Amino acid sequence: MIRPLFISLFVFTAITLKSQDTVKVAATLTPDQQAEQDYNKGLAALNNSDYNTAIDLFSKCLAQKTDFDKAFINRAVAFTKMKRYNEAMSDINLVIKLQPENAELYFYRSLIFMGLAQRDSQNVMLDYCLKLNAGHAEAAYYKGLLAYEDKNLDGAIRFFSMAAGSKPDYVYAYNDRGSVKRAKGDYAGAAADYEKALLIDNSYAFIHNNLGSAYRSAKNYKKALAAYSKALELNPNYLIALNNRGTAHFENNDLKSAEQDFEEVLKQDPNNSSAYNNLCSIAIKNQDYAKAKELASKAIQLDTKNGAAYYNRGIARQMLREEDECCADWKKAVELGVDGAKIFINTSCLN
Amino acid sequence: MKKSIYTFLFLNTFFLLPAQSVEFDKNNFLTRKDEFKDAMRKYEAGLIFYTEGRKDFDDFRRSFIMNKKYFPISLFDYRHSGDQSFRNAITPLTDANRFNARSVKLNYMLGFSWFVTSPLSKETIHYLETAYALQDNSGETDVAYWLAWAYHLNSRWDDAIKYYEEHLTHLQKRAKANALAIEDVNKKIAECHSGKTLSAKPERVFVDNLGENVNSHFPEYSPSITADEGTIFFTSRRPNGGKRDVNDNGYFEDVYSSAKEKGKWQAAKSLGKLINTDGHDATAGLSPDGTKLFLYRSTPTDGGDIYQSELLGSEWRTPVHLNKNINTKFREMSVSMSFDGKRLYFISDRQIGGFGGNDIYYCDMDAATGDWGIAKNLGAEINTKYDEEAVFMHPDGKTMYFSSKGYNSMGGYDVFKSTLVNGKWSAPVNLGYPINGPDDDVYFVVSGSGNRAYFASAKPGGFGDHDLYKITFLGPEKSPLLSTQDQLLAMVANPVSDLKTQSAVEVKSAKLTILKGLIYEEGEKKKPLESSIELIDNEKNVVLATFKSNSSTGKYLVTLPSGKNYGLVVKNEGYLFHSENFDLPDSTDFQEFNLDIALKKIEVGSIIILKNIFFDSGKSTIRSESANELARLVKLLKDNPSLKIEISSHTDNIGSDDYNMKLSNERSKSVVDYLIGHSVPATRLVAKGYGETRPVESNDTAEGRQNNRRTEFKILEK
Repeated sequence: MIRPLFISLFVFTAITLKSQDTVKVAATLTPDQQAEQDYNKGLAALNNSDYNTAIDLFSKCLAQKTDFDKAFINRAVAFTKMKRYNEAMSDINLVIKLQPENAELYFYRSLIFMGLAQRDSQNVMLDYCLKLNAGHAEAAYYKGLLAYEDKNLDGAIRFFSMAAGSKPDYVYAYNDRGSVKRAKGDYAGAAADYEKALLIDNSYAFIHNNLGSAYRSAKNYKKALAAYSKALELNPNYLIALNNRGTAHFENNDLKSAEQDFEEVLKQDPNNSSAYNNLCSIAIKNQDYAKAKELASKAIQLDTKNGAAYYNRGIARQMLREEDECCADWKKAVELGVDGAKIFINTSCLN
Repeated sequence: MKKSIYTFLFLNTFFLLPAQSVEFDKNNFLTRKDEFKDAMRKYEAGLIFYTEGRKDFDDFRRSFIMNKKYFPISLFDYRHSGDQSFRNAITPLTDANRFNARSVKLNYMLGFSWFVTSPLSKETIHYLETAYALQDNSGETDVAYWLAWAYHLNSRWDDAIKYYEEHLTHLQKRAKANALAIEDVNKKIAECHSGKTLSAKPERVFVDNLGENVNSHFPEYSPSITADEGTIFFTSRRPNGGKRDVNDNGYFEDVYSSAKEKGKWQAAKSLGKLINTDGHDATAGLSPDGTKLFLYRSTPTDGGDIYQSELLGSEWRTPVHLNKNINTKFREMSVSMSFDGKRLYFISDRQIGGFGGNDIYYCDMDAATGDWGIAKNLGAEINTKYDEEAVFMHPDGKTMYFSSKGYNSMGGYDVFKSTLVNGKWSAPVNLGYPINGPDDDVYFVVSGSGNRAYFASAKPGGFGDHDLYKITFLGPEKSPLLSTQDQLLAMVANPVSDLKTQSAVEVKSAKLTILKGLIYEEGEKKKPLESSIELIDNEKNVVLATFKSNSSTGKYLVTLPSGKNYGLVVKNEGYLFHSENFDLPDSTDFQEFNLDIALKKIEVGSIIILKNIFFDSGKSTIRSESANELARLVKLLKDNPSLKIEISSHTDNIGSDDYNMKLSNERSKSVVDYLIGHSVPATRLVAKGYGETRPVESNDTAEGRQNNRRTEFKILEK
């Protein structure tokens, strides 16, 4: 299940922008004006992440004006933030009764279903949203995420393309389409999409990192190194990009630069399991298997789920003639998702 | 003054003319008469030995060329011709060389003697290089050839090519007369190029000495191994009764075996007097299950023949001379039996129907006589005009390993592999360096898994002379897996790790299943039983092979190449038969099962699962693959006319209770109907369907459900 990082962002942004148009201040307050005032205070509380206050204020507002749809919607947002999904759903349902043809409401409903981990219902709501508004970029984007999760890579590309078509400055849609293309082995297509995303907004370090990885996959190490370096320029603490840059150096047979990057990662984060595993890879390349074993062990000690480290320690142990331990490591690597170790188990771990 | 003249002469001899030969002539050593006399005596003594050895060597070479129409390819071809004489020559010639190290002839003799007796020694290269440097027009004409060969054997490929080419130039001056010699040198140049190419990309292997429990400081060679690597058989020339062969003063060859326990080879044991006679007894091959041992013995008249011994309990029976289709007046050696015991591959130098020298032949078992049929040459796809040796057919039924001096050998015999594809042998592939080298690489046997091999080598670091070694194939270099992460999707917080390994890494294993275990009588005592084990091709309904478990231990070992649905039936008089089913598609990789089988006595209440009765899915129609199992059941009932049995059918828990009950009732009835249709009285048969009510395993797994879907019979009355 995809865990939404910015689940509230769309909801928040969308409703806040609408509500800003309706802000009015009056000297003598009618019930409607009072409701409006409570609504605006509720929005402010929501913006301050004071969700309980926001819920109280939206409820107060709705007590005075029972058909105040935006109050229902934003209370639903606050409920969603509090993970009170059923109450959020109840509010959205009420608004849908009032505006059954409003595609946006079905999109909100899909997000609540996502919070409830009801994937099928989320999917149905997104479909309905798109039926009502085929140009709903966010709905298409989320459909793309679901397709990716289902390993339907072609479907994901189609939905991300729909999203980008509806909203030409949709940075995430380009980034994600690029990632799907990369998963399909279309590294040139992936790089082109990342480049498009960065043309819209050059400030995303993670997209520069992804661009670097696309070029690395295409063995275009010069461009890969440049992209990773740009990501690090934007965010010097972005250790993922630093580790990846080291990897690009490694694959480009520049072991010295690779080692420098991995050591730098460890300087900033002495408990970085990935960096230890990558240093282990250098040791394997240098045929220093004792050192490789030691580094992989350290990587495993820091992260017992580091499948790559088990895989590498298996390689080191095979060369150190620790056959039983080598096989145990490869079996663990397979358990952790490194399918490439299976062939070694089948061929080297019998008898 | 006199002293200074001597000094001048000395310097003149040894330093002023460094490339000029100084022969053993008293006129060359006027000032050192006494020393010269002593050195000359040594020289002449060495010369006598050398001349004897060289005569044997050259005579052998002439007869070899006359017989084979090509020059000997390797030192192995010379069969140690003149070996002892050359050994005797070395000491006096070395003494003489201490007096005069500038004689081209003496250096040549020393170099040649070392070359024949110890070709990899530094002395070989040193003396031949010196002879080459000193040679003039009156010197030996072939020193470049032997020096090239010495470099060749030491893997100094470029040096070898240079001197072979120089010798070639010399030979080409009389090209017609030297046609065979030119062919020989061209072949050796090609071998050097092959060696250069193959050694540049060495195979990744571990090579381990099998240790002191197997090896001794006497020669060990010609290993044979059971498919599961549980036991190794080999030839050794260690003292075993103390008798020596007068021809080479070595102890006679005897056969030994060592069993592997907990991963360690146990102390080797002589196979006993029925196998090891007073003469030479050498291993020639072993059946994959380790119950049939092939031996090589020779008499002055038979040219060398193959014998077969069978394991009875813990004793090897008296070896039996194989029939005339295999053994001829020519030399037969090195045997390999197919996994089903129905084909025998062997080496023979018979001169009828061969491609030259030793070739690989095979004989099929004649079903009517139970003996080996007419021998057939394996054909030009495998056999060359040069010698083939040491054939080993892998128990996967498809892969053959053999040694040959042809193809792209690096020198002498190299080990090659060929695979049977659609009935044709693929082009032999050199197993590469360091498995092969410039010298002779023979007697190479491969484990059932295909990942290990055993061979003999005189490489340095062993216990002495030839030792047995294990090769572990590591496959292509394994690239390390780097930790990379990407935040692929903008909305997904956690970065994603790429756990894909480089796809280029491919390690091939044999497509083979090894099944082994014990067969015993059901009960507390677990009495071992010598039982017959039938291997059945269920699709063709034919018995592929019949094996026997060991009479004293009950042990058995069966190899099942992938690509068939096998029925396996264990039978023993007085016991109910036991059946197993192994469906092994082509893609099934190597696997090894331990399966102990308890045979049940024919007693009331005994239940047997009929694992080779198959129905159409969801129906009660018996499939044709069940014919063998049903025939066995019919035979059991006819052999035991008082038996009354219940045939029961069981299902898994997929589907409704009613459906499963109905299906199982219909299936048991189908079996009973079949038996009635084959003259078993209906009064002796009860059909019963139990649906899903009697599972033998959990229905939570596919394997469990498969085992729950079964047909059984139970003895109701005896």
